This record gives sequence, C-alpha cells and structure tokens, in this order.
Amino acid sequence: MTIENKKGWISWFNPFRYGTDRWMYSLHRLTGIILGFYLIAHVWETSHILDGPITWNSLMVFLDYPFGPHFGPFILSGVLLVAVYHALNGIRLTIVENGLMLPKPYRPEFPYRPKSLKGLNNVLKILLGVLMIIISAIGIYFIFTGVIL
Amino acid sequence: MRESRIMFLQYMTGLLILVFGSMHFLAISALAPTSDKILYLYNSSSGAHTLIGGTLNYYSVKAVYTSLAWGSVFELLLTFLVFHVFNGFRVILSEQFPGGTSEKIITYSMLIVALIIFIYGSNTIVVMLNGGGI
Amino acid sequence: MQEIALKGFGEVLKTVTFRVRRYDPEKRELAKYMEYKVPVQMGMTVLDGILYIKEHLDHSVSARYSCRMGICGSCGMIINGKEQLACQTQILELNKDLIKVDPMGNYPIVKDLVPDLSKLFRNHGSVKPYIIREEEEPKSEFIQTPEQREEYAMFTDCILCGMCLSACPTNATDELYLGPQSLAQGYRYITDNRDMGFNERLNVLDSKHGVWRCHFSGACSEVCPKGVDPALGVQLLRQLLTSNSFVKYKQKEATKGPERKSVSGVS
Ligand code: SF4
Ligand code: FES
Repeated sequence: MTIENKKGWISWFNPFRYGTDRWMYSLHRLTGIILGFYLIAHVWETSHILDGPITWNSLMVFLDYPFGPHFGPFILSGVLLVAVYHALNGIRLTIVENGLMLPKPYRPEFPYRPKSLKGLNNVLKILLGVLMIIISAIGIYFIFTGVIL
Repeated sequence: MRESRIMFLQYMTGLLILVFGSMHFLAISALAPTSDKILYLYNSSSGAHTLIGGTLNYYSVKAVYTSLAWGSVFELLLTFLVFHVFNGFRVILSEQFPGGTSEKIITYSMLIVALIIFIYGSNTIVVMLNGGGI
Repeated sequence: MQEIALKGFGEVLKTVTFRVRRYDPEKRELAKYMEYKVPVQMGMTVLDGILYIKEHLDHSVSARYSCRMGICGSCGMIINGKEQLACQTQILELNKDLIKVDPMGNYPIVKDLVPDLSKLFRNHGSVKPYIIREEEEPKSEFIQTPEQREEYAMFTDCILCGMCLSACPTNATDELYLGPQSLAQGYRYITDNRDMGFNERLNVLDSKHGVWRCHFSGACSEVCPKGVDPALGVQLLRQLLTSNSFVKYKQKEATKGPERKSVSGVS
C-alpha cells in the first residue's frame, strides 16, 4: 500500500532554497487572488454612485475612516502595492514565459547553475524592484497628500 | 477553446488592463474635473466629517462617469478585468482540484460569477452614462 | 601532495544525526521521523550515511539507489528541505549536524524513502519521447549538423530522477500536470530536425494540464542535478505553441543522405 505525499498549496509558501523566482510565483498568485476579490468589492462599491450624493459621500467618508482616523489610505496603499507588484511581475512573465529574453539552449556545465533564471531574467527582476519602489512611492505620496510629483 | 488561445488572451488582457487601469487612476487624480486633485476634502470646521470636495466627491465622480470617453474606458477595463480575474481563478482552482468533473464545475461556475459581475458593473456604467442615479 | 590530500581520510571527523522519515506500508502507520547517529568520514555521501544506518543501526530503512554516481537517477530525496541526489550530496559539504531526509514529494510513497515514480514515466511516455516519422523503414540516414544538435542537446541529459516534479509548485496540487520533465522532453523531440511528430504531440502538450500550467517558478531548474534547465525547455515550448497558433509551425525536414540498398543484414 502506497501513501499519498502531495505537498499541497502550503508548499507555495515554503520556498526556502528554491530561489527568487519561486518567491515571485507565490507572491504573484497571492496578489492575484487579493486583486480578484478587490475587483468584486470595487464593483459593488462604485455601484453606490447610483444612490445619489448623500449615500455616496457617506460611503466615501466611511472608506476613508473605516476603523479609525485615516485608516482608509493605508488600505488603499496596500492595494496599490499589490497591484503594482502584480502588474510589473505580469509584464516580466509575459516576456519570459513566451521564451523571450531567455538564453538559447546551452551545454550544462558543473556546478549546473540554470541560466534561464539568471541573465536577462535577473535584469528584469531588478528593474521590477526599482520600478516598484518608484511607482509605489509616487502613488502612496499621492494617496496621502493629493500631490503628484 | 484550446488552452494556448485562452492563455494568449490572458496575457493580452493583462497588458490592456495595465493601459486602461492606469488611465482609470488618472480619472481620480491628474485628469479629475476638480481644481485641487486631493482625494478627500473635508469641512473640518463643522466637526462632523462632511465631504465638501476632492476627486472622490459625488459631483466630481459623476462628471467623470457621464463623459462618454471615460465611460467607454471603464467598460473596456471591466471587460478585460473580468476575463483576466476569472480565468485566473479558474486556473488556480483547477490546479487545486484537478479532474474532469470538478474542472467542469469550476469552469461553469466561474463563467456565471464573471457574467454576474460584468452585468452588475456595466449596469452602473451605462446608467451613469445616461445621466445616472438620483 | 598525496598525503595532504588524504589527510583525515578514513578517520571519523564528526557524528551527525540523520532524521529519516519512515513509513511502514504493512502496519499502515502514518509516516514518522526516526533519528540515527552516524559517524562521518571524509567523502561520505548521504546515501552512504543511509547505507550505514541500514548496516549497523536499523535494517528496515529503505531507499532506492543503484549507480551511486549520479547517473541512474534513483536516489532523489529531499535532503534538508531541498531535492537532491543522495549519492551526490556530501555530508561534510552540507555542514549541518542534523540531516533531515524526506522522500520526494508529490509522489505516492511505497516505503520510507522510496517514492512510486510511475506517474513520471507515464507522463514521459505520453509526450512520445521518440522520433516520429511517416515512412516505416528509412532507406537512408538523416543528416544533422552539430548546430542542429545543439538546439536540443541539453535536454538529452535528463536522467529521469523526477526531482523536478517534486519541487514544482503546480505538481504539488495538480497530479494531472505533465510536469517539467515531460514538457522539456517534448520540446527536445519537437526541435529535433529528424522528427515529424509535432501535431501528434500537440494534443498532449497543449491540453488543460499541459504546458500552460507552468507558471515559471523555476524550482525545477533549481533542483535539477544535471543542469537540464527544464524550465527553459518549457518556456521555449510555450513560445513555439504561441507562435504556432498564428503561423503554423513548420517541421524541419532533415536532409537525407545517400540511399542504401538494404538496411537489414548490415553488421
Ligand atoms: S529534468 Fe532534471 S530534475 Fe527533472 S527528471 Fe530530468 S534530470 Fe531529474
Ligand atoms: S544512485 Fe544512481 S543517481 Fe544516485
């Protein structure tokens, strides 16, 4: 009798030792799920515009002050970070998953470091990090102050 | 449909969401039809929180919604988003529960939920385009 | 020079604890961990450690191995949280006092450290890992230049150890997924210029649990003991399938060499 030994979805979040790509995969999934639920909530939220100015404005005030002073902007900043990550990593995956910017087949040589995870793919990852810091800094600054750089 | 076509659409809608999604941010920031581009402007003197301005104020948002250009941007964005999100959910769920029947159930239930969200969201956009609400 | 190289050879340098996951199929007990103290000499691999346990401490510990030199691909297991070939992993290089040995994940376990790899071989077979031609009996050789060979040569190094399926996060939930190994092999045969079987493989590779369930987490390439880089193969295969839905993939026809009178009877 054999016994099942599936690692299950929990292993997405056990990515020690598997390198950055594995982390980015897990985060991409997680942010995608969050954004999906955010879309549903957002469609529901914006549908209140049909109920006229009083309902809409009080809903906006509630979303700005949900659990305490200015908690809303923090939630909004979180959504922004999640969305920026998902978008930038999505661009990277669109490029890389369609075989662009990857090395040509090569001869493996000891100590067998995979080249598809290095090289231009690594450049894209660094670019992602830099762009993410810039875009989310601008976005969060706007959310809190209303000023666009 | 072949899986390669579906996933091609997934990539393409992803890129289109990027374009239309950033435009949709501009609607409440740089391109908002108010003089100051802050999200919330409160009347602090009266003590209670009353929204007197800001890009999220009713009249500002309504002005955005009633313009045909923004309306079509929102409608297109909604279409792409609904496809991208629910196809993503289908992929995640069918990887979670593989097998013929469970995948059929997942595919059809995702289709139904996607249609509901799409119709619900389009309703808001279309009603607002026609002068909208109260 | 010789003496320096051999210094410390044959002496017990330290004692490490092996924490081995056990599963007894007869008692149908759930898997549990057992600890063994193993004296380590220079050059001892994890497989040697397990064999030491088997000889001296507990005869019932089971592991699968054959060549002890990283060629047969039998001894893949999870060593300290990462898939590695037990016969290629030096205990002293791990530099830990506790070595945790688990059977590979995502396969059913037969006993202790022995996984049931039939899923791997079934998936490998389903992508038709052989050259497909229309003619029954070729009359001449197919010419292949060294450059044409380079296009797929790296994927031929696969030893079917199955560690990539154990590391893959999609395989962790989706047992119908073909897995990086089979997809890379599919790519290897499609790009071979002697092969004509692209359309026959398309149905399997482009299915609901085919190439599109890869999300490029790169774990397969990270653990592959032969540097096959299956993730690269999967992405290149995907490029091929995407472009195929716009411009039909043209199979490279190998030029034929001079015709032979009879193939049979040639020694
Ligand atoms: S691709 Fe690498 S890890 Fe996967 S079965 Fe082949 S040799 Fe093993
Ligand atoms: S025993 Fe053959 S690969 Fe380890």
